[in-house]
Amino acid sequence: MVKKIAITNEIRKLRFFANEMTQQQLAESVGVSRQTIMAIEAGKYSPSLELAFRIAEVFNVKINEVFDYEGKGDR
Amino acid sequence: MSYQEKRTVVSVVTGVLILISYFIYTNSKYQSGIVPEGDLKFWAGSMLLFIAIGIAVTIVIQILFHILLSVTIAAKAKIADAVCDDKEIERSIKIEMTTDEMDKLIELKSNMVGFGFAGAGFVLALILLVLDYSHVIMLNVMFVSFSIGSILEGVVQIYFYRRGITNG
Repeated sequence: MVKKIAITNEIRKLRFFANEMTQQQLAESVGVSRQTIMAIEAGKYSPSLELAFRIAEVFNVKINEVFDYEGKGDR
Repeated sequence: MSYQEKRTVVSVVTGVLILISYFIYTNSKYQSGIVPEGDLKFWAGSMLLFIAIGIAVTIVIQILFHILLSVTIAAKAKIADAVCDDKEIERSIKIEMTTDEMDKLIELKSNMVGFGFAGAGFVLALILLVLDYSHVIMLNVMFVSFSIGSILEGVVQIYFYRRGITNG
């Protein structure tokens, strides 16, 4: 069985460095609710690839600078 | 608590109240002796009545809830910034009520649980019929399992909103 991996993210940090962007502002930019941004930040929801790219685009960084996963090289 | 969560809580509470009302109504009629033993017409009529009430009440409550939430958001926006215009308020309301990919995933998973429960109830009702239980019991088991399935769907939604959800 394939081991489940935990997705981590740097959204909180990136928001802080983007003029202290609020969760609401980020949610508006990517077209989701604030609840979803909160869930992603807390690691309670892994976004779709499309949403992940949109989030990265808002911060003008590559996707792997926003999202990462724990347990690299385990398999 | 988000708009989706609040809406789900309202739906669950409405569903529970309607189911309780159904039990009180049918039980009082049955106890009074008006209903003949095994009268399927009465039970089917009662179920249809409560399905209609359920739909009507749900629509009315959702409309009221929508209005109330819009007013609350507008009031909050005005308190925070007295000069904010209507377009800004409308935008805030729209964002608050957005249904996005997480909502859809939660809905999909909770639907599975709800339909699973209703399906199991349907099978149980058929088994009871095979075991020579009365048609009234079979009909009630079906009705109750569909109602509880719908309530359970809401409860599972709230659970996923609280705990979080993963793909796969």
